[in-house]
Amino acid sequence: MERKPCRAGDYQNTYMIGGPGVHPRDTARPPSGGAVRRSPARIGGTGRGGKGVPDVDREAALRAVLADVSAECGPGLRALTGAAERRAYETDALTAHRILPGLVLLPADRSQVAPIVRACLRHGVPYVARGAGTGLSGGALPSESGLVISLARLNRILEVDPDRRTAIVEPGTTNLSISAAAGEYDLYYAPDPSSQVVCTIGGNVAENSGGAHCLKYGFTSHHVLAVEVVLPDGSVAVLGSDDIEAPCYDAPGYDLRGVFVGAEGTCGVATRIAVRLLRRPEVVRTLVADFPDVPSACDTVSAVIAAGIVPSAIEMMDNLAIRACEDAVHAGYDRNAAASLIIELDGPAEECTELFEKVSAMCTAHGCARLRIAADAAERAAIWAGRKAAFAAMGRLSPEFLLQDGVVPRTRLAEALTGIAGLAAGAGLRVANVFHAGDGNLHPLVLYRADAGQEPAAAALAAAIAELCVALGGSLSGEHGIGVDKACSMPEMFSPADLTAMDRLRAAFDPSGLCNPGKVFPTPALCGESRAGAYQPHPLEETGKIQRW
Amino acid sequence: MVGPSSSAPPPGGATPGSGSAADGGGTTAEAPIVSHAAPRSITPTTLKDLRDAVTAGTVLIRGTGTATTWGAPVRDPRTTVSLAGMDRVLDHRPADMTVHVQGGIRLDALQAQLALRGQWLPYDPARSEATIGGLLATGDAGPRRLAYGSLRELVIGATMVFPDGAIAKSGGHVIKNVAGYDLAKLCHGSLGTLGVVAELVLRVHPLPQTSRTVMVSGVDTAAAQRLTWALTRSATEPTAIEWCEPEQVLAVRFDGTSDGAAARAAAARALLRGSLAELDADESASFWHSHAVRIVAEPGDTVLRAATRPGIDPSLVRSLAAWAEHAGVKALLTCSPAVGGYTVRVTGGDAKAHAELVKNWRASVEAVGGFVMLRRRRPGVDAMVESWGRAPGGVDVMRRVKGNFDPENRFAPGRFAPWF
Repeated sequence: MERKPCRAGDYQNTYMIGGPGVHPRDTARPPSGGAVRRSPARIGGTGRGGKGVPDVDREAALRAVLADVSAECGPGLRALTGAAERRAYETDALTAHRILPGLVLLPADRSQVAPIVRACLRHGVPYVARGAGTGLSGGALPSESGLVISLARLNRILEVDPDRRTAIVEPGTTNLSISAAAGEYDLYYAPDPSSQVVCTIGGNVAENSGGAHCLKYGFTSHHVLAVEVVLPDGSVAVLGSDDIEAPCYDAPGYDLRGVFVGAEGTCGVATRIAVRLLRRPEVVRTLVADFPDVPSACDTVSAVIAAGIVPSAIEMMDNLAIRACEDAVHAGYDRNAAASLIIELDGPAEECTELFEKVSAMCTAHGCARLRIAADAAERAAIWAGRKAAFAAMGRLSPEFLLQDGVVPRTRLAEALTGIAGLAAGAGLRVANVFHAGDGNLHPLVLYRADAGQEPAAAALAAAIAELCVALGGSLSGEHGIGVDKACSMPEMFSPADLTAMDRLRAAFDPSGLCNPGKVFPTPALCGESRAGAYQPHPLEETGKIQRW
Repeated sequence: MVGPSSSAPPPGGATPGSGSAADGGGTTAEAPIVSHAAPRSITPTTLKDLRDAVTAGTVLIRGTGTATTWGAPVRDPRTTVSLAGMDRVLDHRPADMTVHVQGGIRLDALQAQLALRGQWLPYDPARSEATIGGLLATGDAGPRRLAYGSLRELVIGATMVFPDGAIAKSGGHVIKNVAGYDLAKLCHGSLGTLGVVAELVLRVHPLPQTSRTVMVSGVDTAAAQRLTWALTRSATEPTAIEWCEPEQVLAVRFDGTSDGAAARAAAARALLRGSLAELDADESASFWHSHAVRIVAEPGDTVLRAATRPGIDPSLVRSLAAWAEHAGVKALLTCSPAVGGYTVRVTGGDAKAHAELVKNWRASVEAVGGFVMLRRRRPGVDAMVESWGRAPGGVDVMRRVKGNFDPENRFAPGRFAPWF
């Protein structure tokens, strides 16, 4: 396999995290990938027994799917059958996991999606929908000899309503293009994951993507009013309304739209999405504050929040990250700072200016060595270019790295960073930290060299960091999702009862178990039959006397 | 809401919904719950007792009883489980801006506790004495949902007790978290049919220094629409925009720093046309209180709640007036134009007239892609009209969700009839 080093500014490679090679969990994964959890044997009464699907059956099933959809959809539907073409879909941006799909279909029209799902259901073939493939948790990883539905060609912005402040878009639309289309009305789409130039709204919906500004504006889930979905039973439903062109804020019944957003593609395939647009803020003010040590930066974050100020973003980079970014983008960061904060406030002019002055004063009061306030939009853009290029820039420090996405309560940031430094020292590896400090969402980058045999140690360190976050009262993932990457760590955070309830919900959407199987939930196939340290509820917990969170 | 509110369980042997505990203590002739057996009432104080209380028989979960009439009547509840004994703040972390509470805490009590630390939950449903668990289960929201979202946006963790006795959590204590499915969202709007909201972790916000309200009178439908769009297109960032008909008053609220809110209110006044007034703090509090009372209404009224795409549809305002006149009833409309929410309070006339209005106006709303549910009805209305109209997309999935979590249909059976 060829190596894909990270290069600054190359978005295709920006998210190629980690090198190829054997993931430590690969040894535990059977040939059928994650697809064994709910056996397709139950589908359509075919009566096939056993857990796995023999390859010969699967090949026949894939041929049958292709024949069915070709007949139903006509020549507009593009099918990739050659191994070389399919190989491009064997991984998303979490390249440590690779499984070659058996067939890739690229619908040219959203009406072709339901026939594909129905054909998969008929022939018992697992499938996964895919956007730009920038996901960082292996959420778009195919099943072994499974089917990939690439939504890349469904990329039209169907409607922007400047009064109602809504847009209706197809799932392959890129995040940033929605804001571009809404810009002429002074509107924008708020969630801004770092990959927003290329990542698609369909993928954002699957992962409930966040971004630097979700501290103030919330996640994808807060900005999606309705989703037209091909459900795993092959029917089409509009969740959050009944008509995608009339999306409601408060449709009655269970909030299935809310469940679908963030379900990591396990509850169906989105074909149209109605998003909420926001009015561009009147004023945006941005500063970079350099600190001589990490705790001072963490204290500043806490002080800002304690003062009752909700900035639109508070980002932190440690020295290793600062140097990589500065070398790559020359955004004017201080290479000698132990930590830098990027703090941005936006809103109505009067209020924003008043609060920005307070924040600036707090930085100084907490020992900030240098305070740089963006003088204009160009300087602000340069600051953000430096921040958003951080992961790409890491390629300068190490050709290979693993990225974690754990979250801790904001007040435990300093503790988490100390803990990570300790774990890194113990593993003999370097960890750079670039993260959303305002909401405690860490992005530690574990740097390693595969050719030096460091990959297993790096993977173990990354998992240890995620589980440290849980131990500090946080979460395994703030925005990248669980996918296959963190599925085995789920029992650190959730009890069997929690996971059973979630699985029941999943089964209501997908009784067949064919829709992106093997994701989110830990499976014996992926993680082994038992795992030390799995959650057991304490009797005091059951009586409500103690809390695990 | 008017009248004393009660967090006490209904008296033993009483039929829930017809006794003094229903609907904030008002005496009521409503019979929202059809009961054939003497029900029992349990008020657990621990998670374990709560679990034991819900594992057998038909179960009606009750907070302060402010929404027992929402949706369709529950059939034959044997056990009423009151959350009144689980009303504590478990863990408030001001520096993290999170609070962990039991599901039975009243919203007003929670707000009072948060205010001691200069914080609040930016959430202002009309039923401020309702429990936080009940508010999640009813999917209720107030005028400020325009700026801050509804409870679904503010809940970051939940502990649920499901009909099989499973105690399950999702989310956690951190404001950003995508690990696992979001069970709290599933319970949003579930009206007690899936499980009990035993505990919630909420994201709280700093209390704004001040709140200002600009009132415009003489605002007809077209003007309300025009002014709403002018406001949302401006940089003034209103936190609430509400329009009342037939009074034809538009109320616009701004929360923020003292100088900031003043500047925004001033900017809004420059945009608005008509007879303008800016309310001082007392006047503002009094206006928003009366606004909440208007939405909650009183026993004997019929209350409809419609959800449509954002905006005021003029045809809906016209048809409401026409059908009300036709039926000989009075219809008060409260509209959140920026988010497409309508609450209609129907008074006067008999049950037949109320049912006729529900039927006719529902048809108008459904014709523009909206939904209408009943929150309250005059006794007798249920015999003539369904509580739910057109179902939203995915109702088959809702039915399967219900079947998977509550296969014996014990939790609030009938609540979503005729859908499931």
